[in-house]
Amino acid sequence: MTGIAPKPLLDSLREIVGAGHVITKAEELLVYECDAYTLEKQLPTAVVLPGNTAEVQAIVRACAAHKVPIIPRGAGTSLSGTVLAVTGGIMIALTRMNRVIDLDYANRRAFVEAGCVNAWVTNAVKGQGLFYAPDPSSQPACTIGGNVGTNSGGPHTLKYGVTTNHVLGLEMVLPDGDIVWLGTRPDGGEDVDGYDLRGVAIGSEGMFGIVTRVLLRLVRAPQAFKTMLGVFSTVDQASQTVSDIIEAGMVPGALEMMDQLITQAVEAAYKFGFPLDAGAVLIIELDGLAPGLERQAETVVQICRKNGAREVRLAKSDQERADLWKSRKRAFGAIGRLSPNFITQDGVVPRSKLPEMMRFIGECSRKYDLRIPNVFHAGDGNIHPLVLYDERDADQVRRALGASHDILEKCVEFGGSVTGEHGIGVEKIDFMARQFSPDDLEAMRMLRRVFDPEGRCNPHKMFPGSKRCGDFALRKQAAA
Amino acid sequence: MTLTASSVADVTAALLSASARRERISALDLRAMREVLEYTPEDMTVSVEAGVTLTQLQARLAEHNQWLPIDPPGANTLTIGALVAANKSGPRRFGFGTIREHLLGIKVVLADGRVIKAGGKVVKNVAGYDLCKLFVGSHGTLGVIVEATFKVLPRPESELFLKRASAQLDEFAPLLQQVNQSPLTPVVLDLHGSRAGHTFVLGFAGPREDVEWQREQARALGFAESAALDYDEALRQTSEPFQVASVLPSKVIATVKSLDTQTYVARAGNGLIYFRGGRSQQRPELPLKLMRRIKETYDPKGILPDLPW
Repeated sequence: MTGIAPKPLLDSLREIVGAGHVITKAEELLVYECDAYTLEKQLPTAVVLPGNTAEVQAIVRACAAHKVPIIPRGAGTSLSGTVLAVTGGIMIALTRMNRVIDLDYANRRAFVEAGCVNAWVTNAVKGQGLFYAPDPSSQPACTIGGNVGTNSGGPHTLKYGVTTNHVLGLEMVLPDGDIVWLGTRPDGGEDVDGYDLRGVAIGSEGMFGIVTRVLLRLVRAPQAFKTMLGVFSTVDQASQTVSDIIEAGMVPGALEMMDQLITQAVEAAYKFGFPLDAGAVLIIELDGLAPGLERQAETVVQICRKNGAREVRLAKSDQERADLWKSRKRAFGAIGRLSPNFITQDGVVPRSKLPEMMRFIGECSRKYDLRIPNVFHAGDGNIHPLVLYDERDADQVRRALGASHDILEKCVEFGGSVTGEHGIGVEKIDFMARQFSPDDLEAMRMLRRVFDPEGRCNPHKMFPGSKRCGDFALRKQAAA
Repeated sequence: MTLTASSVADVTAALLSASARRERISALDLRAMREVLEYTPEDMTVSVEAGVTLTQLQARLAEHNQWLPIDPPGANTLTIGALVAANKSGPRRFGFGTIREHLLGIKVVLADGRVIKAGGKVVKNVAGYDLCKLFVGSHGTLGVIVEATFKVLPRPESELFLKRASAQLDEFAPLLQQVNQSPLTPVVLDLHGSRAGHTFVLGFAGPREDVEWQREQARALGFAESAALDYDEALRQTSEPFQVASVLPSKVIATVKSLDTQTYVARAGNGLIYFRGGRSQQRPELPLKLMRRIKETYDPKGILPDLPW
C-alpha cells in the first residue's frame, strides 16, 4: 500500500462499489501490474470494479477530490503498456460493465457497455447476417472500451477500417466527474453538430476520461469469401505479391503474411498443415458478392504465380477458412514455444516499401543475433516483427531493445509510423519526438488539457519527458 | 476579413497580423495553393495543398484509375480545405463514408501561426491523438488547413444507378425494408422528391459481374429505369438555403412526412434529410462546455470564426 491513496479515499471507494469490488491486496493486484507489454511493471494502489456509469462517476469524483491518478483498464490485452499504473493510482477496471445493452438490427447498431468483449458483439448479431468489423487477434478477450482507447485494428482493417470507422458514439466520464456523450446517440441520427469529439477520444489511450458505454456500427456480413493461402519460398516474393495485388486495384478483405519461423511455430502448436520449408505464406481473403469473386480470385492466383508461389491453396469450406484464420490469430500464442519473451513491434510503412522493410528486419535479426519472426497485416503495410529474447539475460534485453529501436527508426525514415494499432503507451514514448515536431506534440497536449486539465487520467503516457517506472529505468541502465 | 494566401508562410503571416490587430478572419481564399504535392498510386495515397479543387484532384487520380470516393455537390469549385473543414459528402456516402474515413494526415496553421501536422501518410497510424478528427467539420474555427493526405481507392470497374418512382412516399417504406433485407450492397440509397412525387435511387459499384447481378435483383424490386445523381446538386447547390435533419435510418420516411417539406433529398441508409421549406428539426444536446474549451485553447484571441453551433 503506497501513500498515494489515503484511507478515506479507499473507504469512499468501498462505499461506492462495495468492499468486494475494491482490490488492495498486493497478491491480488499482481494481475493488474502490466498489460501484454511486460518489460515494465508497477502495481496500482487499488483496483476498483464499478458496475455502472453512476459508480464510475462517483469513483472519478472521489479520486478528483483526493487528486489521485485514475487509470482505465479493460482486459489488459494492450501491447504498449497503455494501462500501466506508472506511479500507482486507482485503476478503474470496466470488466464488470460488460453487457450488450441493445441491438438495433434495422439501423445496424449495437449499444454496449465498455467492458463488453469484442467477439461477443459479432457472436450476438451473427444470426442476423451482421458483424462488428474490427477484429484484433485478442478479440476473444479484449474489450470494446479498450478498443476505443487504442483505436484497435485487426486483419480485416484493410477493407473495413479500424475502430474509429465503426464507433458512432460513446459515453465518457471526464476526469472531473462530468458525464458527456460524444458523437451519435443511440436513438439519434448519425450526424451531430460540433467537433468530432468521438473521433478525438478514439485512440486517446485512456487519457481523456473513462469510456463507459459505446454505440457501434454493425456491418453486413459478406455474401461470399475466397480465402487463399499462397506459399512462397522467400519473404521477398510474398512482399512483392502484396504490392502487386494492391497495385492491381483490388481491395481484399484481408492480406496477411506469416514468415517461416511463425509458420513453423504455429504448425508445431496447432498442426494446420503448413509447409515447414516455405519462406513465407500469405493469407489472402477476398469477400463480397459471389458473382465477381471468381475472376478476382483468378487474378490473385496469377499474381502469386508470377511472383514464384509454390502453390496457392483455396479454402474449400467454411471450416477450412475458420481454421486458416485460427492459425493466424493464434500465431502470437504459438511464439511461447520459441522464446520465453518477445517484444512485438507495430510499425507501418507505405505498402510499396514492404519488400525493403522486410529485408531490413532480416538484417536487424543478423546484426543483433536474435530471431525475429514476422506475422502481420501486409496489405496495410503494418508490420509485426516479434523480437525474441530471454529477460534473464541482460545482453539479450539490450539487443532486443536495440533491434526494436532500429526497426521503428526505419519506419519513420520511410515516412511511416511507429505504431499502426498498438499505441504509444509507455513503450514508444521516445519515438513520439521522432515522428512529431515539438509543435505537433504541443497541439496534442493542448487537447489533453481540455479534457484533463490536471493530467490525472492515465498519466505518464505518450508524451516525451513522462515519468518511467523506476524498475524499468534500472533494468534499461543495467542492460545498456 | 478574408485571409488570402498562396503559401503556408503567407497563412502564418496573415494569422500573426490578424492576431496583432485582433481582427477576426471570416473567410479563406487559398485557391493559389493548388499543388498536388505527392501522389503514389502504388500506395494509394495522395497529399495535396488545401486550395486544390476536388475536381482537379479526381482528374489527377483518374490517370491511375483511382479516386477519392467523396462526391459532394459543387466539386469543381470546392477546395479540399473547404471539403474537410465543412465535412462535405454526397450520395455515395452510404457506400464509402465521409471524408474522415479517408483522411490520413493534415497540416494546419494554428491561430498563433504555428504550423502543425497530425496523422501521417500511411493507412494505419495510431501514434499520438487523432487530431485529424478535430479539424474535420471544424468550419475553420481552430486553424487553417493548408495540406491534407488521403487514402484513395481503385475506381470501381462498373457503376450503375437505378430508380423507381412513386406518387406516394408511403409505398417506399416496405420497399426500403426489402432492399435492406436483400443481398444487395448499394453504395447509394437515396430518396428524393417534392409534394408532386417521389423517387427511390439505388446505386451499385464494383466488379462488373457484381453490378450486373445486382441490376437483375433490383429489377425484380421494380428498379428498372437508369438514374442520374443530379438531384443532389439541384437541391444543395443553389443559393436558397436548405436545412438538414439527422435521424435514425429507420425513421427517415416518417420524418420526411412530418417535416412537410417542399423538396428533399434523403440519404435513407444514413438517416440524413436535406430539405427546403417545412419545419426545422430539434437538435440533440451537445457537449458545448468541452467544445468552447477547445475553441478557447486553440484560438485564445478569437481571431478565427466563432463556433457555428
